[in-house]
Amino acid sequence: MNWQRLFLSALAAVLCSAAATPADAGDRFYYLGYEIIQVIDGDTDAIVADIPIKGATREVGLTADRKFLYVATDRHFVHKVDLGANRVVATIDVSNGGWNRLMFGFVLDPDGRTAYGAFMSRRTELGEAIVGKPVVAQFELETGKLLRSVEVPWGVAHLVSVKGGRTIYAFGQDLYKIDTTGSELKLVETMPMFDKGMNSLPFWDYAFDNGGVASMNYYTEKYMGLLLVDQQSGDIEDIVLKGEPAMAYSVVLAPDKKKAYAVMDDLTVIDLAKKTYLASVPIKEGTCYGVNVSSDGKKIYVGGGGSTLTVFDAQTLKPLKVLQMASDGMDLRRIGF
Amino acid sequence: MKKKTIEALNRKAKAIERLAEGEQKTAEALATRPMPQGCTTIFDTGWETNPRPTYPIGNCMASVRDFNGCAGDCWWPAQMPDGLTNHRDFDVACPNIARDWRNLKYD
Repeated sequence: MNWQRLFLSALAAVLCSAAATPADAGDRFYYLGYEIIQVIDGDTDAIVADIPIKGATREVGLTADRKFLYVATDRHFVHKVDLGANRVVATIDVSNGGWNRLMFGFVLDPDGRTAYGAFMSRRTELGEAIVGKPVVAQFELETGKLLRSVEVPWGVAHLVSVKGGRTIYAFGQDLYKIDTTGSELKLVETMPMFDKGMNSLPFWDYAFDNGGVASMNYYTEKYMGLLLVDQQSGDIEDIVLKGEPAMAYSVVLAPDKKKAYAVMDDLTVIDLAKKTYLASVPIKEGTCYGVNVSSDGKKIYVGGGGSTLTVFDAQTLKPLKVLQMASDGMDLRRIGF
Repeated sequence: MKKKTIEALNRKAKAIERLAEGEQKTAEALATRPMPQGCTTIFDTGWETNPRPTYPIGNCMASVRDFNGCAGDCWWPAQMPDGLTNHRDFDVACPNIARDWRNLKYD
């Protein structure tokens, strides 16, 4: 019967769709740990899934359909995580072709088949150590095979993809802009940072959590600043904050983009319009690397570094809940479904 | 003019002073240079400074919360297992340092 076939097809489509994304709509927070990723439900603030994974998690990339999260670990593995099934479905190693590579900086290309990494490489030949030149390279997500590369100065530690992947920003001592549109990758511009006394540890940028704005803090001798990179336009807003610098590893934007939250030993609220600090509270559990915020802006999550995740009320800055995680952590990412 | 704290007394010492006439300083103590604050991706440990004059003197508290992040990534191979080369799987035994530190084994 035609109507039966139609009903069964519709049912199959619904079931496939349910399997591909988490059952309940809302926020999921992904605690990036060691040998594990833990999933926290944004409504109940409870751990709802454990995802075993090989290695120390570092950087992630979210596919455009929000069905898969690519997770870089141990600075040379890339795992594909199915966010519906909460499990690793594929793994590649970028150390291949006789080279031992270390990847500091990882972004997905919009084509869905490739990614870019910033690599340091080494190998031995007849007992001699050969050190490769530092490069930013495009590689296949299915095999880890490098497709093309461009030499960059030493010290690149983070990549941000802008203008639909047509340009890659490589953050190191300076900011290097790489044009990806030709047959070869081309370093087209260097924006000085080192000579301006800017120091940054740009391991955290929260680009997809912020809705397409990468947020990274930096320091000079006198002040803390924020670099906000608009991924669509490639524009960079440099916000110099007034007052004694707040020490922070990472900074995330509030959903209304009027405030930002910074974290290290303290949770600090930043007024982006007035370019100053609004409030700061110590984190009782100690230093945290990662910070995130619920999509309604009502709760702030801090965690990583050590093995705790603390949920704060964004209005009062009072802790609401402390979760003991299975491992220490590197970061905390939010994905809305 | 700044008063000299050491004076040449004999002929040999005066000859050395003449050799040094017009010489400009070639080195500068790091402590006198303006240094930015915070952690760094730059392979230069002197670059990492902390503006706080009081506790915590280090950048992280407790330092154990910084252990796994520093192994490999932050380049303190004397203090941490070198997670990039020699101890690549140490986090398997110690995913939570505060709980698992007894499993740490250094060569």
